[in-house]
Amino acid sequence: MKKIEIVKIESLNREPLLIEGYLFEGSDPDAPSVAIVGAMEGKTILPLYSASKLVDFLQNDIDDAKKIKGNILVIPSINHYALNLDERFWPLDKTNLNMMFPGYEEGETTQRISKRLFDALSGYDYGISLETRHDLSTCLAYITLFKSGYEDLEAAKMCGFRLIHHKELKPTDTVSLQYNWQLWGTKAFSIVSPSDTTINPNTAQSLFNGLMRFLSKSGILDYKVLLGYDSNIILDKDIEIVKTPKSGIFIPTKKVGASVKQDEMLGKIIHSLEGNVIHRIFSPCDGVITCIYKNGLIFENALAFRVAKSI
Amino acid sequence: MKTTEIFSSQLPVGEKLSIKRTRFEPTHTTSKTKLKRISIVSGIHGDELEGQYAIFLLGAWLKENQDSISGIIDLYPAVNALGIDSITRGFPVYEVDLNRVFPGKESDFLPGQLVHALAMDIKGSDIAIDIHSSNIFLKEIPQIRINKEFSNATLPLAKKLNCDFIWIHDAVTVLEATFSHTMNELGTKTLVVEMGVGMRLTKEYGTQLLNGMLNLMKSEGIIQSDEVFEQRTPFSSEVGDVFYINSPKSGLFVPELDHCAIIEKGQKIGKIVNPLNGDILEELYSPSEGIMFTLREYPVVYEGSLIARIFGNTNNEKN
Repeated sequence: MKKIEIVKIESLNREPLLIEGYLFEGSDPDAPSVAIVGAMEGKTILPLYSASKLVDFLQNDIDDAKKIKGNILVIPSINHYALNLDERFWPLDKTNLNMMFPGYEEGETTQRISKRLFDALSGYDYGISLETRHDLSTCLAYITLFKSGYEDLEAAKMCGFRLIHHKELKPTDTVSLQYNWQLWGTKAFSIVSPSDTTINPNTAQSLFNGLMRFLSKSGILDYKVLLGYDSNIILDKDIEIVKTPKSGIFIPTKKVGASVKQDEMLGKIIHSLEGNVIHRIFSPCDGVITCIYKNGLIFENALAFRVAKSI
Repeated sequence: MKTTEIFSSQLPVGEKLSIKRTRFEPTHTTSKTKLKRISIVSGIHGDELEGQYAIFLLGAWLKENQDSISGIIDLYPAVNALGIDSITRGFPVYEVDLNRVFPGKESDFLPGQLVHALAMDIKGSDIAIDIHSSNIFLKEIPQIRINKEFSNATLPLAKKLNCDFIWIHDAVTVLEATFSHTMNELGTKTLVVEMGVGMRLTKEYGTQLLNGMLNLMKSEGIIQSDEVFEQRTPFSSEVGDVFYINSPKSGLFVPELDHCAIIEKGQKIGKIVNPLNGDILEELYSPSEGIMFTLREYPVVYEGSLIARIFGNTNNEKN
């Protein structure tokens, strides 16, 4: 394993931001390669943990280095500055690194970081960006794959996650790592996990298992893993959005991943000052709950649940 | 004058989010033709307040000159009401930049619902003006930003707004999620004003833009007035280039020039220093003669932080 410097940015009052990658060189020059990016934002604990556990596994648990067939680059953390302050974005100007790709060497700080990072990530056969949900939801770990015209669904399936959200491209997605990776020939996708601030062992294990299945199925790592799901491909039209017409204290009565029947109760809203139930939320269809609003207080007309129809 | 709620959402604990519009229209009209309508928006970013002042000045003028009104003038001073009251640029809780979620939709998350309601309320206006104040890091002279894609329709209007600079920029996909792109797509000629600095008011800029808005409305027949409103001749990026000066080092930026200065090529803009040891880390000079229309206001910089933008002449730079 080689530890390589990807980016170094000086700071007036902090230690320099040093982004490092762990490069595991493969034994088979014909095997494909993969780059895996962990925490690009602060508050992305699961991506950080999953990537660092993968480094640990590749470094300490593979008994024969020849089992690593293709090059594997793991960058567990990009945005240490934000992680250390519990900020989500670049702490000074609050810009989102994942909206700066492919980056610009002569541009603003986060554009420069993205450019140097993108240079280091270019040329890999596969690219995996570990991310968390951007909205106020907790969710099943799943894959997001943009409909960019350059995407590779088969690559995403190799993780064996229950769901792959094959989503329509929005204007803001065109400056993301995944899209730009795809544009430049890497089969890229994102693994999305909840933005929990603590480590849920089950979710962490499912992320790790997904990465291991990918490495095994793609031929990058010679290692036996348990099979995962034959992933369900979810399009935007397959998701039923369940909103609450009332604001107040939100009590979900189901968990993510639960199968539900139409008209089954999913949760309730409590009047925040008087304590009575002011609304009950019911499932509009048979399906599986993929996301649940995660805060105790919920806005009026806010999205409370997402239900994937009849999986 | 009538104030209307265009979007509301009951917040979880004893409060309602309410986005409001005030409409001015003629008290008496005999015209059978459709009245022209202009919509003026500010506060999409909660840390930008210059637009609130400019809209206040306009509202005050319209109240004083009710008889001059011959069209419909809609004022939306505080789109991100919760952000403004909590010094938050994005939509609080969701941490979302409202100017990256247009056009939104009814089934969207709350910020998407809000911007959708705004876009639908303004839809049908002939003209819209979206007033921004850069951010807390940069100070801007009053200027108009125009997407090249819509410049044939919007540039003639921009020239009437009494601003100092018109910047016509290339179409960028990510900016399709902005208010101005959405409204231009919907057929409303929309201009973006940038002026001043975040979290502050610059009174002279507010007055300058007031004159520009009145001048534009007069020329479009939305107000009738014998008063002559100032119309500066702006510099335009059609006939020159914009130079960016980004910090080559991390440190503390100390400016040497006043804002909005006409500068010479090679003139000193400022320096980057290290307070810990008294070192001057870098001195920064203008790459071109021209007008400095952006200057850093917040002194702490990282490598790459924008220090200044200068509108100048490429040929001069090459010479």
